[in-house]
Amino acid sequence: MFFKLYRYSILQTMRQKLTIFWSLLFPIIMGTLFRVSFGDFMNETVVFHQIPVAYVTEEEQFDAFQAVLESLEEEEGLVELILVDREEAEALLKDEKVEGIYQRAVSSAAQNLERETIGIEQSAEDITLTVTKKGINQSILSSVLEQYQRTFQTMEHIAREQPAGIEAAASVIREQCQYLKAGTISDTPKGDVTDYFYALIAMNCLMGVIMGLQSALEFKANLSPLAARRVMASTHRFGILLPDLAAKLTIQFLCTVFSVCYLMFAMQVSLGEKFPLVLLTTLLGSLVGIFWGFFVGAAGTYKETVKEGICIAGMLFSSFLAGMMVGGMYRFLETHMPVVNRINPASLISHALYSLDIYQGYEKYAQCMVSLLLIAVLLGVCGFALVRRERYASI
Amino acid sequence: MAKAVIEIENLVKRYKELVALDHLNLTIREGEVFGLLGPNGSGKTTAINCILALLHFDKGSVKVFGEEMQPDSYDIKRKIGVVLQNVAVFEELTVQENIDYFCSLYVKEKSVRRQYVEEAISFSGLEDFRKFFPKKLSGGLLRRLNIACGIAHKPKLIILDEPTVAVDPQSRNRILEGIQKLNRQGATIIYTSHYMEEVEQICSRIAILDQGRCVASGTKEELKAMIKIGEKIHLEAEEMTSEQMEGIRRLRHVYQVDYQNGMLKICCNGGKHNLVHILDYMTKEEISFGRVYAELPTLNDVFLEITGKQLRDSAE
Repeated sequence: MFFKLYRYSILQTMRQKLTIFWSLLFPIIMGTLFRVSFGDFMNETVVFHQIPVAYVTEEEQFDAFQAVLESLEEEEGLVELILVDREEAEALLKDEKVEGIYQRAVSSAAQNLERETIGIEQSAEDITLTVTKKGINQSILSSVLEQYQRTFQTMEHIAREQPAGIEAAASVIREQCQYLKAGTISDTPKGDVTDYFYALIAMNCLMGVIMGLQSALEFKANLSPLAARRVMASTHRFGILLPDLAAKLTIQFLCTVFSVCYLMFAMQVSLGEKFPLVLLTTLLGSLVGIFWGFFVGAAGTYKETVKEGICIAGMLFSSFLAGMMVGGMYRFLETHMPVVNRINPASLISHALYSLDIYQGYEKYAQCMVSLLLIAVLLGVCGFALVRRERYASI
Repeated sequence: MAKAVIEIENLVKRYKELVALDHLNLTIREGEVFGLLGPNGSGKTTAINCILALLHFDKGSVKVFGEEMQPDSYDIKRKIGVVLQNVAVFEELTVQENIDYFCSLYVKEKSVRRQYVEEAISFSGLEDFRKFFPKKLSGGLLRRLNIACGIAHKPKLIILDEPTVAVDPQSRNRILEGIQKLNRQGATIIYTSHYMEEVEQICSRIAILDQGRCVASGTKEELKAMIKIGEKIHLEAEEMTSEQMEGIRRLRHVYQVDYQNGMLKICCNGGKHNLVHILDYMTKEEISFGRVYAELPTLNDVFLEITGKQLRDSAE
């Protein structure tokens, strides 16, 4: 029975030209327009340049910070480490051959350096950072030192007791550095352009609101005669509803997958190398879209057109906040109202895709996916609770 | 006496201040074609929605097949077929797919369902349109599809809420014949309509609702016996003076005389040989007359007399 009703729901949905236009053709048209508009930016290769930094150490013994810096140089490609004495380091900094100087023994370090511009000296434990200007590279070097200082005790202990474990400990800093590196890449024109495509895919997933809404409208007897006929049948309500929602999720997901494939393979938009996870993200995004529409359809007794308006406006606003219309919106909100990025479905979808592309680890991605799952569960449970009411006050 | 299929007792349904059903009592027995008549807003559709457990009601009880009807009474629902006032089919599914879809909500077994779908298509005369989408069907065919979707699973109780609205005479006739056929096959029918001649043609018992109450019920003959009009006599007469009109009015059983555009209309309340008495009077008064015909009261007369001629236009 489930598959019979599922099959008919698939047929019914696929024959709705308008729904298929919005879920399939519209994102493809938008993607093509984006691709044509951003043509040159898309072809630009983004190269992250390692940050040259001098490290002055007078100690002969094993140096944990040096091990961390070497790890960041070899594993992450974040810094280019130059081991020199103090005079040579100062000369390199003056000639702008290095972006900063890390040095041990505060008492002797940097005292003779003429601070021509901005003298920033960070003194904690016994390592300082000296830079002569402000910029992204200097911020990254500063962050590396801060991270190290936070985990200093642990590092020292590991370095002394289990020198082999320093690599594992350094990963804590390295992970943070990935975000710093990602931030610098995002500041490039290509980073902004790719954001548009992430937001476009997010919007594509959320197009499911239209199908979810339709599912609810065809199930509430006080909203349509068709729904009245369905709920009067001798099949349990959820026995009718579940195949319908499953069919709509299938179609929405397939539409989104088609759009993603079109962007990746026809339009040559790079979405990273983790294709299966991209698909998983679109599946969860589609589920959120379907349940969002279903919830709006199930709540209240407003007219169909009003509910359609609410769904489409909500979906567009969500996409706007994710940067669909204005690039850099995600980072703007991250600075001023980060909570919006944590609850906005389109932002979560686009950031999940972004995280897959940029970060090597899955922490950020997992955070986005868990949030999306929670939103889907919340909307789904509330929607089901609302249609569970089986008698109506008026029809 | 056949057993009761539907028993409604003291049913009260209010929409805020409006009383849609006011202590409604109805009993519908097995094998009946039960006509539910009433002006707009009289509570017909509300009563049906309460029977189907779609609406909350304030007071009273509804029993279907001897059991209290609840939204999850799936065993009872299996025996009920509903044809709603508005066409309720999927626009994107063909005629055959629509019937199969709704039939599959009741019948699980594939071979049985296939047979039922074929029978429903044949019953509603949609054999040549099985691959058509609803938007390609005429109004009459669409109504027949609506009926086919409601009766495909062979229900024992069929509720038809104004199924012939906006349908041409040929399609209407086909639908009415189909309903009678379903009844002959053993189904109990509840039929609501504004078309009195339809109800008169197919219903074995009729209830007239007005302002949420059942104001009259019984067979056609019983209902006709309830009203004042017994016979209406029409004569083509050339000229009538007021004295002559008054003379006719004084005849026995005559209670109303109208003369308009050469046509004399006389209403009698019962009695026998009324026409003979009137013709005798006309001859005696030397009033020349042409065509003469008499008619018995129709259900329309019953309906108008019981519910009044005042226009009704409120939400139901």
